Amino acid sequence: MITIIISILIALGILVFAFLWQTTLSGITRKIVGRYQKRYGPRFYQNFRDIFKALSKRGITHGWVYSFGVIMAVGGIMATVMFLPLFGIVPFPGVDNFFIYVYLFAVGMLGMAMSAVGSGNPLAGIGVMRALTQMVGYEVPFMIVVLAMIYGHGTSSLSELAAIQQTSGFLSWNLVKMPIGTIVGFICLLGMLGKKPFETFIAPAEIASGPMVEYGGKQLGMLMIMHELATFIEISLFVNLFLGGATPIVFGETTVLVGLSSVVGFLLKYSIVYIVSALISNALGRFKIDQVIKYFYKVPIVLAIIQALIVVFLGWGV
Amino acid sequence: MGISIGVGTIIVGLLISAVLAYVLTKINKTTGAWVTVLAPFLALAAVFLLRDSIGTTYSLFFLEFELTEYGWFFSMIMLLVFACVSFFNVYWMKKMVHPAAYNMLYLLALTGTLGAFMAKDFIGLFIFWEMIVWSSMFIIPFGKSRKASVVYYAFSALGSLAMLYGIFYLYNAFGSFNIQEVLKLAATDTTAALVAFITIGIAGMVKLGVFPFHLWLPRAHGNAPDTFSPILSGGLVKAGGFAVFLIAVVMPSYEAFATQLQFMGVSITSYIFILFGAVSIVVGTLMAIKQDDFKKLIAYSSVANAGYIIIGLAMTDALSVGGAFMHIFAHALASAAAFLAVAAVSHRTGTTKMSELGGLIHRMPLTYLVYLIAIISMAGIPPMAGFISKWMLFQSMIDNGMVFVATAAFFGSIGSFLYVFRPLSAVFLGQLSPKHYKVKKAPVLMMIPMIILSGLTVLFGIFPNIVLRIVSRIQTSVGMEGLQFDGTKIIGSNGSLDPTLIVVIFGIGFMIALVIFLLHPKSRKVELMDTYTASEFIYTPELLHYSHSFYAPFERLYKNAPDTSKWYKAILKKVSEIGGFVSYAFFSSKPRIVVFWIVIAMVALLWGGSV
Repeated sequence: MITIIISILIALGILVFAFLWQTTLSGITRKIVGRYQKRYGPRFYQNFRDIFKALSKRGITHGWVYSFGVIMAVGGIMATVMFLPLFGIVPFPGVDNFFIYVYLFAVGMLGMAMSAVGSGNPLAGIGVMRALTQMVGYEVPFMIVVLAMIYGHGTSSLSELAAIQQTSGFLSWNLVKMPIGTIVGFICLLGMLGKKPFETFIAPAEIASGPMVEYGGKQLGMLMIMHELATFIEISLFVNLFLGGATPIVFGETTVLVGLSSVVGFLLKYSIVYIVSALISNALGRFKIDQVIKYFYKVPIVLAIIQALIVVFLGWGV
Repeated sequence: MGISIGVGTIIVGLLISAVLAYVLTKINKTTGAWVTVLAPFLALAAVFLLRDSIGTTYSLFFLEFELTEYGWFFSMIMLLVFACVSFFNVYWMKKMVHPAAYNMLYLLALTGTLGAFMAKDFIGLFIFWEMIVWSSMFIIPFGKSRKASVVYYAFSALGSLAMLYGIFYLYNAFGSFNIQEVLKLAATDTTAALVAFITIGIAGMVKLGVFPFHLWLPRAHGNAPDTFSPILSGGLVKAGGFAVFLIAVVMPSYEAFATQLQFMGVSITSYIFILFGAVSIVVGTLMAIKQDDFKKLIAYSSVANAGYIIIGLAMTDALSVGGAFMHIFAHALASAAAFLAVAAVSHRTGTTKMSELGGLIHRMPLTYLVYLIAIISMAGIPPMAGFISKWMLFQSMIDNGMVFVATAAFFGSIGSFLYVFRPLSAVFLGQLSPKHYKVKKAPVLMMIPMIILSGLTVLFGIFPNIVLRIVSRIQTSVGMEGLQFDGTKIIGSNGSLDPTLIVVIFGIGFMIALVIFLLHPKSRKVELMDTYTASEFIYTPELLHYSHSFYAPFERLYKNAPDTSKWYKAILKKVSEIGGFVSYAFFSSKPRIVVFWIVIAMVALLWGGSV
């Protein structure tokens, strides 16, 4: 009993860290993107301001499902974050299996979709349709690559998959062992994050932000929190699966220093992945939804299957 | 000791109650319908009490029954579905053309399934199997279409004949009809095992609706009476799983085909079955996404889910068979609940077309919740029972390195989010059409079974080990390795799952979200029509409801995909051409044909004479 309470407390700690870290990084990235577009850009804590402003305003509701869906969405995503290992700390050892993240994440997504369509706005319906369609696109190749990884390493535990990559430095990263898979993973990550060219379901100019069209007040604030946490899950998954998770950047005898440097190492990789995806997003245009599906079922899925066949039949990358 | 309840007593009791239901319905419709409610409940209680006497043999006239672990499990699922659905019969009596016949056939179908699951010999299995086919064949035309019944019977006949051939082949080879005995003998003889595997496998695949035998399923499920669709999807289809289980696991196929070419950890024969399962997942998913009819959509989703079941059974390792059993159980509960939700909607609105509905959550909130729980389970999302089974199946697929099968399974799993969300969005959410302003809540009696089914889905999603321990016993009873547990954890081959913990953590997440929600200012309630419309003035709710061809951009991508029904139409055309020729040549009263045959006969005679 006491261990489970400690585990839950650790998980809550990870939750708080995830929110603070990703919201700050989003702010910093907005600044970087601003400079990239020759603007000054907002302050790095702008996202906190946005969230707390939205939460404090008096908004509207379109019925009970509109609010219930938001609570379900935030609850589902928070639960998913609480299962995530962070810097090698695993809140629930042994049960941090990859499929939990995919499917528990889906609870949150379902909640949000339900709430959005419950608002009665057809644009929200179109947005949800696009989001689900896009999901069929990116999720399948991503899962195939992870299948290859689980088959190769013999474990589906996210922390163990990360730990395996920390055995012999940079060369044991899946980035090196499964390069094709990593490319697929990154393309799918762009799809998950809804970054351009896969920004179909937000598309502010086309469908008025899609699912988000009706939101205001605390519902909007909560969905912004959810968005930050969802981004944290997606990027953490990518870093843990392909980039070796929390690898130290300083090597040596002092465990404290190595431990701290592994924290820095994780955050550094995390920031690079996020900022690069944001920059790519700002350099590209938007696909149409059928183009997204066609693309995912032409390039990434073929690459993913090739990668999986290489691992399964040739045994490379194990 | 008083009356000892045995399998024979239950079967006879159900047969008597079927006749009773017929007679009573003739006198008073509602009384007759109540018989169909009471009989499955009594049988459920009786079979539940028989738990301790598993392994006992019972005889009834010339038929022999044996209560096995798996027979008991399948019977419980079936009785649960029948008992829950039967509440709806009471409301449908007025709408039925032949209520008395319906009630009788309903109970006969139940008798058939129980008999088939508990039969000791193949003859009993075949008799009761046919009883399922015939009773459901007569019930289906009580719904919307007679043709659906013809299609159903054509496929069922194929399955039944294949099975009969297999049974006689095995009898010829081993001189016995006893299921256990013959299958154990067949396992030592590769040819006999192959024949049994294919023939009985086809019977199972037809019943499950696995590609390429899936065409009857959407037709029958979509057109059957609203009260019978949940029985078909949640119950009778699962009998196919039983047939596949017999030949794949009871035989067992991994021993029989040990000398065959092994591919991805299974024999090539099993792998072909698995591939059919994979194709039906993809076909079922793509077709379900396209449907506009609520019932047909769930019917196609049953095709996809049958794919998972057959894959799990054919892989024959502890996790996959466990997963298949859990999937049979979870899908029976979920699809029955979803079909009952459709029935409730159809009862109140008179339609199952999704594009004609909308916003019903504001009128039927509990039905909405029932449907929501059912689809969460169908899509394999925690904390529902469907997640557990999918997780177990994925583990097995990854373990065997089945890349292509897993691709299909992942596609089906993510694709299921699409098709299950469509009715949620089009029927329950969105704008409420003015013609449905006066729609009332589903009646209380309808709510009872729906809530029972939803409750069980949630319960076994949180504590799946209750079911999985029974499954584990089934596995050891047929000589397999059982599933492994550690408290609430299920031990997989490359990781463990703790469903109870997931629910606890989800609960914590939900509570935090709820606290954030409650701490902030209360929202102002606005009307549904008061939405952002880019400054256009729209006053017609239907125009603001996005439901027609929901996934149009996605559907466009596979609109030219090959259609299986065309192959069958081509076969049909050829068969009718041959039939036309036969009837023209042999059954004609035209003089020229008669003269032709006389000439042929004379030529033949003269020829014979000249030699």
